[in-house]
Amino acid sequence: MNNFTEILKSINSFLPELSVITTLLLCLIADIIIRKKSPIVTIIAIAGLLVSAYFVYMQSAVQESLFSGMLVIDPFAVFFKYLFILSSIIILIFFEFSNEIKESTHKNEYSYLILSLVLGAFLMASSVNLLMMYLSLELASLTSYILAGYSKSEKKSSESSMKYLIYGAASSGIMLYGMSLLYGFTGSLDIYEISRYLATNPTPNAFIYLTMIMIAAGLGYKTSSVPFHFWTPDVYEGSPTPVTAFLAVTSSAAGFSLITRLFLTTFLGSTQIVDGAFSIIAGIHWQEIIIVISVASMIVGNFVAIWQKSLKRLLGYSSIAQGGYMLAGLVVADTIGLTAMLIYLSAYLFMNLGAFFVTILIVNKLGTDDIEQMKGLGYRLPFVGVAMAVFMLALSGIPATVGFIGKFYLVTALMKPGAGYLWFAIVLMLNSVVSLFFYLKVVKSMFLERADNTDELPGIKFSVQSYIILILLLIPTIFFGLYFGPIVKLAESSAVLFGIR
Amino acid sequence: MQNLELIFFIAFAIIAIYSAIMMVTRRNPISSALFLILNFFAVSGVYLLLKAQFIAIIQVLVYMGAIMVLFLFVIMLLNLHDENKLSESITYRKITAVLLSILLMGLLFVTFFFGFMGKKSEIHETAGTIGKAEFLGKELFLKYAFPVEIAGLLLLAAVVGAVVLAKKKFE
Amino acid sequence: MVELNYYLGLSSILFAIGVIGVLVRRNAIIIFMSIELMFNSINLSLISFSSFLGDVTGQILVFFIIAVAAAEAAIGLAIIIALFRNKGTVNIDEINILKW
Repeated sequence: MNNFTEILKSINSFLPELSVITTLLLCLIADIIIRKKSPIVTIIAIAGLLVSAYFVYMQSAVQESLFSGMLVIDPFAVFFKYLFILSSIIILIFFEFSNEIKESTHKNEYSYLILSLVLGAFLMASSVNLLMMYLSLELASLTSYILAGYSKSEKKSSESSMKYLIYGAASSGIMLYGMSLLYGFTGSLDIYEISRYLATNPTPNAFIYLTMIMIAAGLGYKTSSVPFHFWTPDVYEGSPTPVTAFLAVTSSAAGFSLITRLFLTTFLGSTQIVDGAFSIIAGIHWQEIIIVISVASMIVGNFVAIWQKSLKRLLGYSSIAQGGYMLAGLVVADTIGLTAMLIYLSAYLFMNLGAFFVTILIVNKLGTDDIEQMKGLGYRLPFVGVAMAVFMLALSGIPATVGFIGKFYLVTALMKPGAGYLWFAIVLMLNSVVSLFFYLKVVKSMFLERADNTDELPGIKFSVQSYIILILLLIPTIFFGLYFGPIVKLAESSAVLFGIR
Repeated sequence: MQNLELIFFIAFAIIAIYSAIMMVTRRNPISSALFLILNFFAVSGVYLLLKAQFIAIIQVLVYMGAIMVLFLFVIMLLNLHDENKLSESITYRKITAVLLSILLMGLLFVTFFFGFMGKKSEIHETAGTIGKAEFLGKELFLKYAFPVEIAGLLLLAAVVGAVVLAKKKFE
Repeated sequence: MVELNYYLGLSSILFAIGVIGVLVRRNAIIIFMSIELMFNSINLSLISFSSFLGDVTGQILVFFIIAVAAAEAAIGLAIIIALFRNKGTVNIDEINILKW
C-alpha cells in the first residue's frame, strides 16, 4: 500500500493542476446546461485559472517530487505555470472578441479545450519521466489540433488542422523512436536515472546523437524550430486568430519548458552547478544540435518573413525566429543563459499577444489579414495603429521596450568569456537587424502608404473594452522595458531545476 | 525448440514486412487498411514470441478491433473508391523521400549494431511473468496510476474534440 | 536463436516503411495508416527492449502509446470528415488554399 499513501501525499502538492482539471470538467458541464453561447463559461474558466494561480503561488519555493517520480515541482516549473495561466487568461478574453469565433457554429467548447491544453502545458513543464513527457505532450498537441480546426466551416481552418495533425503525429512518432532507443540502452524512462546511467557507462557517440536528433524532432515541432517548422506558417494562417495566438505563446512556451528540462537534466554529468554552469557529461555535445536548430530558425524565420503578405503568416515566421533566439539561452547551459531564456519568454508573451490582439481587431473589421489591404489603416484607427507599431518594435528588440531587455540578457549570456559563443551573439544581433525590416514593413504599410481613397474612408471605432485590453497589453510592453527589475528578479530565482544544485 | 522460435519469427517478420509494403503501395484505401490489419496481426504474433501476452491481446483488441474498424468505417463513409481523384505519380520528391527513409533505416541498423550487438542474446528469464495481465495491472494501477488518470483526460479531450469537429451544424 | 537485434531490425524496417508512406502517399487516410504503422514499430522495439531487459516500464509505455494512438485516430478521422465536407477530397495535393 506504499504507492497509495504516496499518491495521497502527492495530491496535496497537485492542487494547481487539480483546480484546472476541476474547472475544465465544470466548463464541460456548464456548456451542456447552458446550451447556447454565453460568457459565463469563459468566466468560470478564468476564475478556475485564478484559483490555480493562487495554488501555484503557494508553491513558490517548493522542490518536491510527486507520484513516484512522474512529476516535480521546482521554481522553473512554477515560472512556466505563471506564464501559462497569464497567457491563457488573456487568450480566453481574446476569444470573446474575435468575430471568427463568434461566427463559428460551436458554443463554448473552446474554454474546455483551452483548459485541457493548459493542463497539458502544466504537466509538460513539470514532468521528469519520458512516459509522462510523451503523454503531456500529446495532451497538449491533441487539443491544439482540435482548436486549429475550430471554425470548421472555413476551408482554411480544416486544412490547417489536417496539416498540423499529420506533422504532429509523424514527428511525435520520430520522437518516440528516439525515446525507445534511450530506454533500450539505459533501461529506464526516468530522466535522472538515464542521466546517472549515461554518466557512468561508456556510450557510443553515434547512438547518443541519433537519439538526441530524434527526440529534438518531436520537441522542435512543438517549438516550431527549423527544420521541423513546416507546419507553422500554414497552421498560423489557417487557424482562427485567437487560436494562432494561443499556439504561438502558450503551446510553444510549453515546448521550451520540456526541451530545456530534458536536455539539461538528461545529459548531466553531476548534479553540482559550478560557477553557475551545468556540468554536462564529457563527450556528449548536445549543444551542437541546439546551435544548428537555433541558428537555422533565426535565419529561416527572419529571411522568409520578409516576403510574407499575410500578417498572420508573417507573425508565424517571426515566432519561428523568436524561438531560435530563445534556444540560444539553452545553448550556454548555465544559470545565466536559463535566466535570459525565461526573461525572453515573458517578454515574448506580452509583445506577441499584443501583436495578435491588434491582428484580431483588424481581421474583425477588414475580414482579411493581407498587409496590402492595411494601407493607410494607421490614419483610420490611430490608436490601434500606434499600438501595433509599439508591439512590432518590441518584437524586433528596440531599446525602451521589453523585447530589448530579453535580447540584451541573451546576448550577455552568450558573450560569457571563455564560452566561445561570441560569433553566436553576433549572428543573433545581425538577425535582429534583419527582423527590423519586416516588422517595420507592417508599420510602413499602415502609416506611410496610402490607399487611393484613404481620405474618403471613415475612421474605424472599436468598443471600449478592446481599448482597455489593448492598453493592458501595451503597459507591460513599455513599462517592463524601462523598469525591468521585477522580471529579471523573478527569472533569476526561477532558473532552478529540481535536483540540481 | 530454439529453431521453432526462429522459424516463427521469420514467418511473422516476412508477413509483417510484406503487408506493410502492400499497405503503402495499394491504391485503394480499403485494401491498404486490410493489409495494415494483417500487419498488426503479424506483429502481435511477434509480441507473443517476446512473451508479452497481454500487449499482444491488447494489440488485437484495440488496434485491429477498434482503430482499424474506425478507419474502414470512415473510408466507406466517404466512399473513397474513386481512384482517378487520387492519381499518384512518381516524382523526384518521392524518390528523395524513399532514399531518405532507407538512409534512416541504415542509420538505425548501424546504431543497433554498435549499441546492442552481443549484449543481449536471450530474452530475460522474468519476461514471462512481466508480460502477464496480473503483473502489468499491478504496475499500471499502483506505480503508474497517475499517468492512467491523465490518459483518461486525454481520451475525454479526444472524445469532445471528435464531436466538435465532426458533428453537423447546430441550429 | 532470435537475438535482440533481429527484433530491432524488424522494427526499424517497419518504421522506415511507415516513414516512406507518410512522405510519399498523398491520400490523407493512407498517411494516417502509415503513421499507425510507425507507432506499431515503436511498440515492437519497446516490447523487445522490455523483454530482453526484464523490465516492465517499456510495456507500460506501449500501453499508453496505444491509448494515445486511439485518441489520435479518432481526432484525425474527425478532421478528415470535416475536411471532406468542405473540400470533397482527401488528396493532400488538392488541399492547397494554404501553401503546403
